[in-house]
Amino acid sequence: MRNAFGAYLRKRREELLDGSPEFSIRKLAAKIGVQPSYISKVEREEVAPPSEPTIVRWAETLGEDPDVLLALAGKVSADLRDAIVKRPKVFAELIRELKDAPDHALLRVVREVRDGNW
Amino acid sequence: MIELSSDTLVFSFPEVHPSATLRLHLQRTLRIPDDDSTYPLPPGLGQFPLRHVDDFANKVPPQWMEHGGVMFPMYQSEAMWICFDSDYDDDRDVSYPFAVKIATGKVSAVSGETWKSGVNRDPQDYVVVPEQPWLDGYCVEEGVIRQFVAMPLGAGYTAEEQVTGKGEHGGLQILAYPMKRKVYEELFPKSSKRILSDLNADCLACYSAAPSEMGLAPGGRMKQEIYEDSYRLSDWDLDHSSRCFVHIANSMVWRSITGDNPPTTPPTSREYTSAGLPWFDWYDDDNKALPGAAPLTGMKSVATIGKEKGDVPLPENETINPGQVVTLRKGLKPGQVREWQETAGRL
Repeated sequence: MRNAFGAYLRKRREELLDGSPEFSIRKLAAKIGVQPSYISKVEREEVAPPSEPTIVRWAETLGEDPDVLLALAGKVSADLRDAIVKRPKVFAELIRELKDAPDHALLRVVREVRDGNW
Repeated sequence: MIELSSDTLVFSFPEVHPSATLRLHLQRTLRIPDDDSTYPLPPGLGQFPLRHVDDFANKVPPQWMEHGGVMFPMYQSEAMWICFDSDYDDDRDVSYPFAVKIATGKVSAVSGETWKSGVNRDPQDYVVVPEQPWLDGYCVEEGVIRQFVAMPLGAGYTAEEQVTGKGEHGGLQILAYPMKRKVYEELFPKSSKRILSDLNADCLACYSAAPSEMGLAPGGRMKQEIYEDSYRLSDWDLDHSSRCFVHIANSMVWRSITGDNPPTTPPTSREYTSAGLPWFDWYDDDNKALPGAAPLTGMKSVATIGKEKGDVPLPENETINPGQVVTLRKGLKPGQVREWQETAGRL
């Protein structure tokens, strides 16, 4: 899983770099707030994935979904972790129940606004 | 079904058509002066937060739980407007049409009549989306509305109390009917490309323990047309509908209910205008405006009632002269609001 993270970031950056010089390592590093050498190391998987806030900034800069990048880095966002820790039994059962369900079935599990007695 | 997603109410009718989805959110805005001048459209200052009442069952009034729905915070005498948007169907180059009923305290903001089911004409008691992108208030004259302003229920200011003599319900009630699928597919065949109006260049340039129960009352006069339905009444699918009760919590008690801070108070009209920020105007030459609704035309504004009571319900109600007015025309981006410019962040 960890290997996919750096390779994925590099692939996305290089795709974007094709269309804009704004995605050079140097410019990306400035936008994310890290050293250019750190970008190279993460992309080459020489270091562990960065912290959650850095991954979120990286995702925003590349136009990626932060939750997807966090998952590729083997992490879960703090708000999801808090939600699970708050009600571990319910969420554990829910996730196990739905883990193999297709996306269209998962979308049916959305919460509806309740209509009461007017 | 109705979902709450990022402070937006999403009304979906997948059983009618894959594109039959309506989105609606509530925008914070300036309160225009209530001085009987007629003002242009004020800007959108961001969405109000919306929450399920069920999530705060032990802290909201019991009748809110009975009604179900969602809630949002408003300061007393704060204003709001409603932003509509429906799913765009690429195959037909059109947004799916909806008939949407909007009531405050179960009094229609369009016809002034008390709540009844179905869609009614003579007088028309709904707006048609996407033709109507926004609704800022009560239809009091052709081309003129009185702005939605939050006031405590029971003080005699709300439209509900003025029209029915009672303050029972408060809040907002919303009911959406999609167009019938058969009618939609006949009116907008896949092969035809709908001609969209030109996007106005100016429009692009502008991008860039108090009582907890609140109701909406008629504030200042604003230039806004509420459009006559150009479809047939029978085009609406009355077999499919979704409705939502939207409760208004006084901002002072929002924190005690939810634990969250309410949004900060918006700038006054004077502060906003003094900063050189734009007001807005909207033109749609293709649609005819409804006349004012008699029960709504007869309402007294908040400032008028306050004067009669010897009260000052609207602080900072000085007349202002909106300087820059940006004209918007048909061809808005989906869900486009009247956006203020970045410099407004100084306010």
